[in-house]
Amino acid sequence: MKIKNITKRYFRTVALDKVSFEVSGDAITGIIGPNGAGKSTLLDIITGFQNPDEGEIYFNDRPLMAFKEKKKVLSYMPEHLEIYPDYYVDDFIRFIHRVTRYVDTDLIEVLNLAKVKNKKIRYLSKGYHQRLKLFFALSNTKKIVVLDEPFDGFDPIQLIEILEFIRAENRKGRTFILSIHQIYDAEKICNHYVLLNEGKVLTRGSMQTLKQTFGDESSSLEQIFMRAIQ
Amino acid sequence: MRSFLILSLKEIKDTFFSKTALLFLVLVSLIIGYGFFSAVGLYSEQSMAAVNNLLYARGFEPVPGVFGPTYGGLFVLFSLFLPFVIIQLVSLEKGQNTFSILTQLPFSFKDILTAKIIASFLFLLFVLMLSLPCIILWRLYGGHIPLNELILLISGYLLYGMFVVSVSFFSASLFDSTANASIFSIFLIISSWVIDFGSNMNMSQALSSISAWTVTKVLKYFENGILSFTAVMYFVLVCSTFFVLTYILLRFDLKGKWRSISSTVILSLLAMFILSHIALNIDVTESHRNSFPANISRALKKVPNLEIDIYMEKGDSRFKDYQRSFLKKLSLVKNDVKVKMMTGDELKKSYGLFVYKVNGKSEKTYSNSEQEIFPIIFGLAGISVGHGSEKTNFPGYPLVVKGKLSVIRYTYYLLIPFGMILAFVAKEIKLRRRFKK
Repeated sequence: MKIKNITKRYFRTVALDKVSFEVSGDAITGIIGPNGAGKSTLLDIITGFQNPDEGEIYFNDRPLMAFKEKKKVLSYMPEHLEIYPDYYVDDFIRFIHRVTRYVDTDLIEVLNLAKVKNKKIRYLSKGYHQRLKLFFALSNTKKIVVLDEPFDGFDPIQLIEILEFIRAENRKGRTFILSIHQIYDAEKICNHYVLLNEGKVLTRGSMQTLKQTFGDESSSLEQIFMRAIQ
Repeated sequence: MRSFLILSLKEIKDTFFSKTALLFLVLVSLIIGYGFFSAVGLYSEQSMAAVNNLLYARGFEPVPGVFGPTYGGLFVLFSLFLPFVIIQLVSLEKGQNTFSILTQLPFSFKDILTAKIIASFLFLLFVLMLSLPCIILWRLYGGHIPLNELILLISGYLLYGMFVVSVSFFSASLFDSTANASIFSIFLIISSWVIDFGSNMNMSQALSSISAWTVTKVLKYFENGILSFTAVMYFVLVCSTFFVLTYILLRFDLKGKWRSISSTVILSLLAMFILSHIALNIDVTESHRNSFPANISRALKKVPNLEIDIYMEKGDSRFKDYQRSFLKKLSLVKNDVKVKMMTGDELKKSYGLFVYKVNGKSEKTYSNSEQEIFPIIFGLAGISVGHGSEKTNFPGYPLVVKGKLSVIRYTYYLLIPFGMILAFVAKEIKLRRRFKK
């Protein structure tokens, strides 16, 4: 997937300024940046939930701009999503299964959703609500999965399980684009990074490339990010 | 198709099993019950004098006498409370961002909106079905049911309900918060009342012109037993416009939304303008209370190029009487009559005058009575009125109901509200039990 010169303005504020990068098929790409960097706007544009003012997106060297086309290859979990609070977890899962005709029992097991299936969604803890959101984003066979702040609300053990599941899905051939503001979490899962600040791409590439540009062999992602901002 | 059915089922559940819907249905039951109880009581009381008086009995018609007031309460409920039930179908999806779920599933925006419209339509049908016991009870009391007129009345309220649904959807798509959407929706609906009020108070000429096209005025056709093609198409057009605007506003992927919105509004206004020039009306009342006698109607149809100049203010009670008893009936027979309201000095000079013109010939009168008007018109046109049934054979249906009215109270104040509350609670308990297993 190629993202070329994406620009988005809200009146006079430039939210994204000629953002360009590439996502390879086997990558887990992390969009890293502080709050207000433009991460969610970028993901909204990539997935078609917002239109850019300028710029193009290509998939397999073909333009991919219409939402109708995008939703065939992209699955998106937005950060702000409150799944039907009055539904029971089981009801929601069944609704998704019936509509998509795709049932992945491993996914329900890994996300441990069976434990809360009798609960109303409004009574779920933040971690389990996050799992349900992940269930929705992963309950399909779409090639690219875009997750906005997917690890918010997970405890360390839950996080290990989820990260392992994402790696396994990635090994099966799915591409992941993740927006993460917790740099430590990003370092655990991503193998490709796009550092974003104030709507601009500071740098992008693998950890090795970032180290060569903004640090040395021992630099952490946090140090690299701080140097890139400076 | 299968996916769409699953989606529609979800929307139907969301619409029917919300707490707001339950509250609304209980209110509907109480209001219908009260309306029917009062109307039957009054009708019955007045009928006592008419039972043995054939002439007086002709004035007793079940639709304006009983069913009109019964459904009248629905008008207020639809206007002021229905938006709260409907708005959440869109605004909750927007607020919780669950549109992002539905749109990623194999549903188009059109599918999602259509499913919501179907669910709302079925909800309205259910609301109107709550009046079924009234019709059954009326029949059991020995009352007459003018089926065509009653169906027309119910259809009118169904269309008005759909109008409220479309306005609610539009408001919800326009605003992010449910509260703002509700206020805007009620503002749009009530503005129709304000225009009517302004028109009735003769506040301005512009208001009077607009008031002919307010929903409340158009609904009057259905309430008065006139099947009007224009009125039906008016509701269809207004509802479609609001639904299309909702569709445009909800589509986050659409570029140039304002262009689409302005095109839709312009096209709708154009269609409305064309519609205002079509008058296809049928009087479906059994008494033909909206029509002239058959021989007069036949003769009027033959009158070519009829023009009427009226030297009177619209607020004048004589004009209102003339409009009600003559112009409205005339519009059902002839839709090409040119009626001109005179203004300025001309109006002052000849106040109170009616001038009838047929093919260049004209005649003046100060009378607004049919007995005076018809000879003038037919004289100008050189047409003789053929013989026919001057009077209708409508006998009238007075009905004295004695001591059985408490059934209405039990049905609408207890049975239906508690039945619905029980159904709601039972559904919740059933769900909990299912999940506990």
